Amino acid sequence: MSPLSRMPQLVLGRKYPKISVDLQKCTVPFLCKKCLQICPNAVFHVTRVMSKEERLKEMDPRIDGNYIMTASRRDKCILCNKCIEICPVDAIKIEEP
Amino acid sequence: MCWLCEEYGDPEYGNGLWYLNPYNYARNMYKLRLPGEGYAGAEAGPETGARPERREGPTQADLTRAIEEGNGEEAARILPILQERSKKGGQPSQVVPLEDADRVLELCSPIGLIACICRKGARAIDERNEMEYTCMGMGVGMLKWERWPERYKGGVKFVNVDEAKEWNHLMDKRGFVHILMLFGAPYIGGFCQCDYPDCGAIRSAVDFGLGTMKSHWVAQVDYDKCNGCGICASRCQFGALKFEVTSQKANIDQFKCYGCGLCQTGCPRGAITLFDRTNIPALTEVW
Repeated sequence: MSPLSRMPQLVLGRKYPKISVDLQKCTVPFLCKKCLQICPNAVFHVTRVMSKEERLKEMDPRIDGNYIMTASRRDKCILCNKCIEICPVDAIKIEEP
Repeated sequence: MCWLCEEYGDPEYGNGLWYLNPYNYARNMYKLRLPGEGYAGAEAGPETGARPERREGPTQADLTRAIEEGNGEEAARILPILQERSKKGGQPSQVVPLEDADRVLELCSPIGLIACICRKGARAIDERNEMEYTCMGMGVGMLKWERWPERYKGGVKFVNVDEAKEWNHLMDKRGFVHILMLFGAPYIGGFCQCDYPDCGAIRSAVDFGLGTMKSHWVAQVDYDKCNGCGICASRCQFGALKFEVTSQKANIDQFKCYGCGLCQTGCPRGAITLFDRTNIPALTEVW
């Protein structure tokens, strides 16, 4: 496999926008999913923090705190602020780098 | 030739394609272990077959964490290590065109349709029944699906080979790329139906140059047959095929082409053909 054939789009030297999600306000992201579906570059990711005992248990997305929002691809954020506008609970904050 | 075909392929069988020759890799499928560790037992998840050397040093999860924290320096340190390791093998997945996918399905049993974990994470799409499922799991691990980690939950619909092929063709029509999940090869664990950017396998390949291996094929356009309808341009998930305005025909960058064959199956005039990558001198080492 030649790395030359795969030019990574990730610009490593650049500073990424700082995106913070207030987990006190954003409690049921898996049900709301507005920011996840509006983001043009799919910056957000909904996930769960699991302990070893918990990992086989199915979690109800309707219960507060079972799923958490992360901005796992900050490098892809274009600062369009669509997620901030659509968030019904004002949980997302974006700071320019 | 790719390292998988060198190691597991047989020129006498399946055109030398490794995945069509289970005789050479089936023994290893459920036997990979971490050095010094015993059998994983009932606690094991479906990713247990992963190639042990992949777990040493930084992982892709570390790269994602560095990006999430905005730690560009750490990301710059980790990425070359991951890319170097990715050259030596242990790929988690490989793109396979529809025709080869049909032949792989004939080798695997049982086959079950399941919910896609990538779409679940990236767009919060909760697939709950057989009409919604967009992922396919294969192998005896499917029989223990209720013991899988939470992220895979959502039920399973077992299908026979013909139903699986029909489903795969339907997914192809919808425009999904078929990616064989290897979990660190040689282990055939499933067929993902992927697109960019929701799918983790395509995303890490296009954005980071990691993970997903290209298929054995590469697409080429027959300019005499192409009428410039542009259908293929909307089906390429890798940014390799575009509509060339000057000639009013499809144009493919073969260095970027992953050989998924979606442009070929979508072309109404049969103007696109898949060629064996290893017969094209400049592309034999482009995986």
